[in-house]
Amino acid sequence: MNKFSSTVLAVIVLFLATGAGAIELKFPPPDFQTSYALPDIYAPEPGITAKDFGWWDTVILFGALSLATFFVFKARSRRGLFLLSIFSLGFFGFYRTGCICPVGSTQNVMAAIFLPDVGVSAIVVSFFVLPLLFSLFFGRVFCASVCPLGAIQELVAVAPIRISPALERVLALGKYIYLGLAVLGVATGAGFMICRYDPFVGIYRMGHSYNMLLAGAAILILGVFVARPYCRFLCPYGVLLGWMSYFSKFHLDIPPSPCVSCRLCEDSCPYNAIDMPTPANLVEKPELGKKRLRLTLLVSPLLILAGALVGYLMYEPLSRMHPTVTLSEQIALEDLGIMSGENLDTDTFRTSDVTSAELHADANAIREQFKTGGAWFGAFIMLIVSLKLVGLSIVKKRDIFTPNKETCFSCGRCYPYCPVEAEPGA
Amino acid sequence: MLEKREFEKNDFMWRVSAMLTFVSGFFSLLVFILLVINYLQIRAADPVDNEMLTQMRIEYAALPDEDVVLAKRIQELDLLTRKAYFTTQNHLRVGAILLLVGVTIFMVAFKSMTRWRPERPQLAEVPTAEREFLAMAESRNLITWAAVLLLGGGLMASYFSESALVPGVNAGATATGDEGGPVADAVDVIAKEFPDWAAMETQWPSFRGAGALGLAHFVNAPMDWDVESGDGIRWKVELEVSGTNSPVVWGEHLFMSSATEEGEFTVYCYNTEDGTLRWSNKVEGLKGSPAELPEVTEDTGYASCSMVVHGDQVFAIFANGDIVSYDFEGKQIWGYNLGVPENHYGHSSSLLAYGGLLYVQKDQNENGKVIALDAATGAEKWVTAREEISWASPAMAQTEFGPQLILVSEEDVDAYDPATGTLLWRQSVLGGEVAPSPTYNNGIVFAANEYAQAVAIQVTGEKETEVLWEYDDLLPEVSSPVGDGERFYFATSMGEIVCLDAKTGEELWLAELDDGFYSSPVLVGDKLYILDIPGNMQIIRAGAEYELIKTIAMGEDTFATPAFLDGRIYLRTANHLYCIEAQDG
Repeated sequence: MNKFSSTVLAVIVLFLATGAGAIELKFPPPDFQTSYALPDIYAPEPGITAKDFGWWDTVILFGALSLATFFVFKARSRRGLFLLSIFSLGFFGFYRTGCICPVGSTQNVMAAIFLPDVGVSAIVVSFFVLPLLFSLFFGRVFCASVCPLGAIQELVAVAPIRISPALERVLALGKYIYLGLAVLGVATGAGFMICRYDPFVGIYRMGHSYNMLLAGAAILILGVFVARPYCRFLCPYGVLLGWMSYFSKFHLDIPPSPCVSCRLCEDSCPYNAIDMPTPANLVEKPELGKKRLRLTLLVSPLLILAGALVGYLMYEPLSRMHPTVTLSEQIALEDLGIMSGENLDTDTFRTSDVTSAELHADANAIREQFKTGGAWFGAFIMLIVSLKLVGLSIVKKRDIFTPNKETCFSCGRCYPYCPVEAEPGA
Repeated sequence: MLEKREFEKNDFMWRVSAMLTFVSGFFSLLVFILLVINYLQIRAADPVDNEMLTQMRIEYAALPDEDVVLAKRIQELDLLTRKAYFTTQNHLRVGAILLLVGVTIFMVAFKSMTRWRPERPQLAEVPTAEREFLAMAESRNLITWAAVLLLGGGLMASYFSESALVPGVNAGATATGDEGGPVADAVDVIAKEFPDWAAMETQWPSFRGAGALGLAHFVNAPMDWDVESGDGIRWKVELEVSGTNSPVVWGEHLFMSSATEEGEFTVYCYNTEDGTLRWSNKVEGLKGSPAELPEVTEDTGYASCSMVVHGDQVFAIFANGDIVSYDFEGKQIWGYNLGVPENHYGHSSSLLAYGGLLYVQKDQNENGKVIALDAATGAEKWVTAREEISWASPAMAQTEFGPQLILVSEEDVDAYDPATGTLLWRQSVLGGEVAPSPTYNNGIVFAANEYAQAVAIQVTGEKETEVLWEYDDLLPEVSSPVGDGERFYFATSMGEIVCLDAKTGEELWLAELDDGFYSSPVLVGDKLYILDIPGNMQIIRAGAEYELIKTIAMGEDTFATPAFLDGRIYLRTANHLYCIEAQDG
């Protein structure tokens, strides 16, 4: 039943993904007069619409998070989580068209922090904070079955394979880079990258650029075999959730009662989120490990400094995140005769009152911002690398299989593998 | 209640599923490829950008009277392209449905495969605990390599995408007043007149005079003065802030600029009659101006570029790319940042103006360019890409084939059309880090650089020019050459002054003086005036034979090239500004 519904839903998702690709382009009306009467242009009124749920969105999110927590801890039901995923995909994804979404709300909150003239609504803040709070207490139950981005990937992951844990850890650096870029983009006014490059929003909204639809479809196809690639390697909000979950008071346990170390769950997690027991006997001399740790701690500040320097030097390519800089470059290339043929952006610009000189000056000012921002970005990435290396240099004593609090999505995939029955009332 | 996984096998069901998976997968892939091809066709058939249609529309719009036949043709083609588009779109829609069906079958069959031949949990041969330990070791290695790749990739990205092409071109070139608002409307700008060459020659509008050629129009320069006694010194002003740029003069206004190490840039205007300061303006708050100063060497500083006067405006540029224009009363006409020049010694190319255009030689490590700005508004008129870096300044040669803007770089001597920026000719004859600027006289462009050679290029009016001769015995490092029509003269930083025959390149004479030269020689009638680094003005007879007429000590280091006007020399030393006047003047 579980597998069947998973397959059906995966098919529905792929149908929507391909269907959205057929959205028509828009044109100007034909030349010269014809008998065809053009329909009036309809512009909907801004403001409250039938879809404006106000605080109900928050209430539903809270309810979904509570239910997910129940399924993870009390019911220990993979099926329950699966059904909740279907609801989340349907409601937060297709019905609410992926907005507002806790993942994207990160940018709203960052914008309110970094940009003086930008505010953020309490509802958006609640969307940002609630999943984090739940993570702090119960682990990543939001990822388990409430996040529409996670849900769509969870449902298509019908034949997941495990990749090497080492590769997993390296690829996971991608989400820190994405988070850094997203914050940099917001802080410099370049825009909301997470939303701009959300691979699934085009599917929820039945329309997007062809490239983004293709990217979404590619991630879903990849997700059939490498489960949840976006969540594991790209999701910037997942970084924050992981940090919260790391300190979570309660967290999913694989055996509901004492672990018998049967090792059946060993390879059950396609996310490499199960930490295995540590060696009973030392594999290497403790002095060697200590020496490695000392070296890592010594090199870390240098690594962070190098990151800051490289980030600073990268201001030019990084600044191209900003549309003003990109436009300035296009205009300059056209003016210099290096690039011929104007595009829609440059055409529009040339009809505006802004001179190319003003545009270039604005772009220059933005590039300056990216020098500072780039340095912080580079330092952040290398700080993460340093922390990862330090973490990997410390062997934590474990006797049983335990979910990694930071990376476990609380999806319950490991439940069926565990032969230990729950004690009545447990 | 905990759910248990079932591990039943069914080979028949697995085979059926596998077959279905293969067939549906192949089918889906085929449809997907066709869809991509279809998409590309849709893009090509986009009615909005149909080239032929656009051309026909332009033709139609240009017709004085209505052309029914052409209108009909446009209408038919318009209809055809739209039909083609929508037909292709229809194919896309059908393809999407086919893909959906294929993918549906594929997904169900694939899941069914895994269902009927499940993989039972396999216990690895390597003990679990050791696997974890090995995974940690492997992770450390991979993450370390990832960090190296990230840093290296970042450096590569920054190196290869360094684009001075964009940053400053004509940035902020709006006519702004003190409050940042427009001060001149378009009519004023168009109506503005700028002095012609003849008027420029009678003044000292730029580094090394009109056209930056090192030629003085007035030949009655003083030959006798004494700094200590004050004889021959009309006035003397103590300078508070350093700067190596040369003074420029127009009428009773002398302009120069300075910069502190902290990046405080100032433009000064002095009264040439009595040396009083008419006004001084701090250059700050320009649009696009960077918060941080670029790295420059102590020798270069931030204010080594000389200013230029054109019409009733004066212009200054600094090593951070700030460029600004004032009127003679000190009111800012326009100003902005051109983009920080990427130049390891610091930007040192002086400005030049001619025919209403202000020329900026922004040669730098990559993506250098020569820019012509509208002197009145600061708006860009043309930009031409440059290939090599240099520290030299542009010169304006009035050839028999028309004016040519002469620039030198590490490799080339280039001539551009001053009006359009078109490259007229190029000779790749130089090498090394070139600081001396070129000069021109009597149909010959002369350029020289230490560690390369001195070359004379006959301007032909064609793209092909002729290198008359080359000379490489002694060469200038900083000081720029000058020519009198028959000979070229230059001074080296080791203290030699060399005179070469303009037609043959023969060394006519070589004088070895005690001190080197950074300041450039100026030809005043039949005399050369040149200041050595300790500040001794050497007055030498210009001719086929060497004759040192006089040496007059200024008493302090001198790097700037003086301005020569009617009976006067305006001279900037390290700490003072002098007006020297002929005794009988």
